[in-house]
Amino acid sequence: MVEKIDLKKIERKVYTSYHEDGLIDIFAGFLILSFGVWIILDMAWMGWILWFVAVSAYAAAKRVLTIPRIGVVKFAPHRVKALVAIAVIVFSLFALLGVVAFMQVEGGGTPIWLLFAIENYMLVFGVSVAASFCVVGYTFRIRRMYAYALLTLIMFVTGHFLYFPLHYYVILLGTLILLFGLAMLIRFVRRYPLSAADTMGGGGNDEQ
Amino acid sequence: MTSNEANEGEVPSFSEIDKTIHEPARLMIMANLFVVESADFLFLQRQTGLTWGNLSSHLSKLENAGYVAIEKEFLDKKPHTTLHLTDKGRTAFQEYRESMKQVFEDLPE
Repeated sequence: MVEKIDLKKIERKVYTSYHEDGLIDIFAGFLILSFGVWIILDMAWMGWILWFVAVSAYAAAKRVLTIPRIGVVKFAPHRVKALVAIAVIVFSLFALLGVVAFMQVEGGGTPIWLLFAIENYMLVFGVSVAASFCVVGYTFRIRRMYAYALLTLIMFVTGHFLYFPLHYYVILLGTLILLFGLAMLIRFVRRYPLSAADTMGGGGNDEQ
Repeated sequence: MTSNEANEGEVPSFSEIDKTIHEPARLMIMANLFVVESADFLFLQRQTGLTWGNLSSHLSKLENAGYVAIEKEFLDKKPHTTLHLTDKGRTAFQEYRESMKQVFEDLPE
């Protein structure tokens, strides 16, 4: 038995349990879906409102649905730090790319790489979203994020050749992930029904 | 030189294994707490599959050994118990892993 102590497996199980409520899927699906709606309606302010709603709803749902059922866990800080570091690096790279593109366009010519990105926007978008799923999957040890990354790549590579508008694929992808998340949430709520003893991780070793 | 000293390094010393950690349920608790910063009673109960009483009694032993710190508070008027490994507990668990690895590596095929 002792030989089989696999801390990586235990760590993965801890992360998987915490995210088996499907809320992160609903959150991701909602964000992608709202981005698709944002493209159609061309209203940036609505996008920001939807994102704010999504973040608030995620935190509230975690507090109301998940914590009373499976308890609270604080993950090792190095994982969260890794995600923040990756986010900062990615954001900095995009910002740098934006500044370089702006300067080159202002200088009197569109750079070749920017023309390539515009021409292949479907691929660029697909790869970016798939990469984001991979980063989240790796950081939080959620394997299904890799499946979402694969789904994203398949959809957007296909989309690159089919010439349908981008928002079709964005809305379809968001809807699929959102529905999968909802199915997980329903399964989670059925699997862990609330009982008085379970609420708020109460109890503990009171008998001593 | 005693016979024990003479045998040191040749035969794995089972007596050196930390028996507080070695018990399967406590080992499971320690391993689960080792991979996180902290967890509450309910989360640990779900992860280990132990009953309330069983988990509680094992946690008492780990707390008495100084391996686990138990913090109790009231959140929304409900009792809430947070658990985390102490530095001593982390070190003991690491040492336990090393010693068990050594024991199994030293055993003949």
